[in-house]
Amino acid sequence: MTLPKDCFPTGMHWFPKTSTGGGAKKSASDVFVLTSTDGKFRLISRTGRIEKTVEAHKGAVLCGQWSPDGTALVTAGEDGQVKIWSRSGMLRSTLTQNSLPVYSVSWGPDADQVLFTNGKQLVLKPLQANAKPTMWKGSDGIILVVDWNPVNNLIISAGEDCRYRVWDTYGRMIYNSAAHDYPITSASWTPDGEMFAVGSFNTLRLCDRSGWSYALEKPNTGSIFSLAWSSDGTQVAGASGNGQVLIANVIERRLEWKNFEATVNASKQIIVKNVMNDTLEKLDFRDRIVKVSLSFNHLVVATSSQCYVYSSRNWNTPMIFDLKEGSVTLIKQAEKHFVMVDGGGVYVYSYDGRLVCSPRYQGMKADILNTQTISISNDTIAIRDKTDEKLIYVFDAQTGKIMGDGKPISHKLEVMEVALDQCGPTGERRLAIIDKNRDLHMTSVRVFGAERKSVKLGPMIHSMAWNDETNMLAGMTDGKILVWYYPNTVYVDKDLLTSTQYHRDSAEFGKSPQLLAFVGNHLILRRSEGSLVSTSISPYIAVLHDYVNGSRWEDAVRLCRFVKDDSLWSCLAAMAAYSKDLNTAEVAYAAIKEVNKVQFIMNIKDIPVKEARNAEMALLCGNPLDAEAILLQAGLIFRAIMLNIQLYNWDRALELAVKHKTHVDTVMGYRLKYLDRFDKKENNKRYLQYKDGIEVDWEKIESKIEMEYQKERERPSGGGSTTASSTNSRPTPSSRPTASQRS
Amino acid sequence: MADEALAKAGLHFDELNKIRVLEPEVAQQTSELKEDCKDFVEKIGDFQKIVGTFIEVVDNVATEVEKEKMKAIGARNLLKSIAKQRESHQQQLRALITEKKMQLERLRIQHDSLVKEESEQNDFIEQLILQK
Repeated sequence: MTLPKDCFPTGMHWFPKTSTGGGAKKSASDVFVLTSTDGKFRLISRTGRIEKTVEAHKGAVLCGQWSPDGTALVTAGEDGQVKIWSRSGMLRSTLTQNSLPVYSVSWGPDADQVLFTNGKQLVLKPLQANAKPTMWKGSDGIILVVDWNPVNNLIISAGEDCRYRVWDTYGRMIYNSAAHDYPITSASWTPDGEMFAVGSFNTLRLCDRSGWSYALEKPNTGSIFSLAWSSDGTQVAGASGNGQVLIANVIERRLEWKNFEATVNASKQIIVKNVMNDTLEKLDFRDRIVKVSLSFNHLVVATSSQCYVYSSRNWNTPMIFDLKEGSVTLIKQAEKHFVMVDGGGVYVYSYDGRLVCSPRYQGMKADILNTQTISISNDTIAIRDKTDEKLIYVFDAQTGKIMGDGKPISHKLEVMEVALDQCGPTGERRLAIIDKNRDLHMTSVRVFGAERKSVKLGPMIHSMAWNDETNMLAGMTDGKILVWYYPNTVYVDKDLLTSTQYHRDSAEFGKSPQLLAFVGNHLILRRSEGSLVSTSISPYIAVLHDYVNGSRWEDAVRLCRFVKDDSLWSCLAAMAAYSKDLNTAEVAYAAIKEVNKVQFIMNIKDIPVKEARNAEMALLCGNPLDAEAILLQAGLIFRAIMLNIQLYNWDRALELAVKHKTHVDTVMGYRLKYLDRFDKKENNKRYLQYKDGIEVDWEKIESKIEMEYQKERERPSGGGSTTASSTNSRPTPSSRPTASQRS
Repeated sequence: MADEALAKAGLHFDELNKIRVLEPEVAQQTSELKEDCKDFVEKIGDFQKIVGTFIEVVDNVATEVEKEKMKAIGARNLLKSIAKQRESHQQQLRALITEKKMQLERLRIQHDSLVKEESEQNDFIEQLILQK
């Protein structure tokens, strides 16, 4: 096709391929916008027909971009205006009027904000008419190019001061590059937001999302004026000053896992090196390699048409299956299967190449999922919702159905990062969440009956990772690496949380390192300048986890005695308490000198009824509500009432007593005692109401209580240690350390 | 006498006793002159031919010289620009070197951390051996 004579194009942008609106994939995606120096933009179809020419700006139109959902178009011109147009090219609004030309403009992830340049400033403006724009100085020279990635929500800017910078949406600078020799004329994110390319005079640079540079290429092309990535993020095309179009492939991606190292050394070849015996395997592919993932003894390679799954035991015969859509954006592995994300959806495959399921929820946008917003474990998949960032959808990995009642997990704040633990029984799957305030929370995935509880583990966590073999959780905070040896501790005994935590100063890893993985006993970090470093934690913890998972409590105790480490003992105490193994818990608590808890456990051991023991354990874990529920379930009304009395939860005690028509006098008696002791007057309405009708006779109460304990001992389900003295088995408030938390 | 009379009338006899209007000497001179002229014309023609080839040769030389001159100028310019090219090439190489250096530094740091970890693990193993 030929353009009109006076039309000198300045830029072009294809209509986004995956526009969710409309549903029907008609020819809507076959249009691109072409901006030109004559102040017009043209909508041109794939066949080359100019569908519409629109007079847009005075002077040249410098930049035009479709919104990610395809509903709107933004243009910026030399006249300093930024205009929003409808899909068909009708003017919707003039967003701003500046005195300087706007060189570049970019949409925000939700198509409700626009970022544009204004001289040395970057301006972020919401589409609403009255909303205030956010402005900040972005450079010492004029900014020529900006790009905003919808996946990681980061902004890159570059311009005539020869530097490129990475920003977050609050305008905080994440990276500032060294000065280049020439002004930077182009910059572009990969679709998955992992990398970006920067173009300058005779220069093409590939950078990590955190800013440091992977590679530099010096093609003899003149200035690269524009860069665009292929949808799979493996190839980049550049328009260069001498009239050439250059196309570059990303190669030399390197992955490490345990003793294997995989390098993509050409666009169709991977070399796998086994460091243990220095053997090299050359894997050749028919098509271009799009994504590679190496974990859990398997190498998963997605090419533009097929997926290859290699086992680390056998590099010769991969499992091969065809892919529906070529552009795989993400692969995440778990021990038994892996999840693959492309523009169309999320798919779970087993390592023998079988499609297990494809989880889906209403309004899912698979193309913008990234490693932070999706997590997979052997039985569960968690996906953070994009439209409401507070919601996390949890799926069963076998069936692909939304777990439980079909409702997503709802967090208090916007969720930034989700991660599922990898081991342990399905019922105890835990989900770690980092929210907008960078607080780390943990919640159980499967809850039965009870309300979902989320517990805060720590504040200011920048990144986190679960261990791949045991349920340890690692997190990075300011200047510190934290490892929770046993995160379940928060459900057992919050007091132990700090002692089961491992601190380490991260100063030796430079400023704000990033946590990449937690493999075995090794933490793999990436320093801010890009180098990978690893550090190890005590190997005993993993051994302890192993023993406990196999219920080998004696071995676990022996290990702790051998190591003589308080944090190990604390872990064991928490683990034993969680598994309700009283003997071990007693030993462990004794070792960390928690006398009150030892005493409490000794008391529990004397209780003849199993349910009551469980309830007391729940109390030890600081869950009086659970304890009560257990007791009521088992029909131990008296104990439930006593529990509430001892927690000074008077209303509930009376309510239970009245409801079950027993021990109302007991409750009244204890209430009177309490009032006497604190020299208070009865002011509780319900107690006043029942006061008159009931006579408090301590002899009668004592005998009734004695009878209850007698009955308990005679229960057939007791099945445990019965002691002679019942007074001993009666829990006293003084021996209940956690009870004080509630009252 | 007769000759004289004839001479007066402008008639002469030559050696072959043919009647002539011109005097025999003059006639002889004329024919000599004619011969000479012919020679002269011939010589001039030759000369012209020689000069023509000469001019041609000189012209050829001139174009050749011109070409060489242009070549020399080009070469000189090229020489000048090569220095510049060198410089830019050097600059490019320097940039590439810096890049590689950074890469090296990254790998060095990674190596250091691995070495450190190895020594930690060796310590740990030793400790285990000693304790047993």
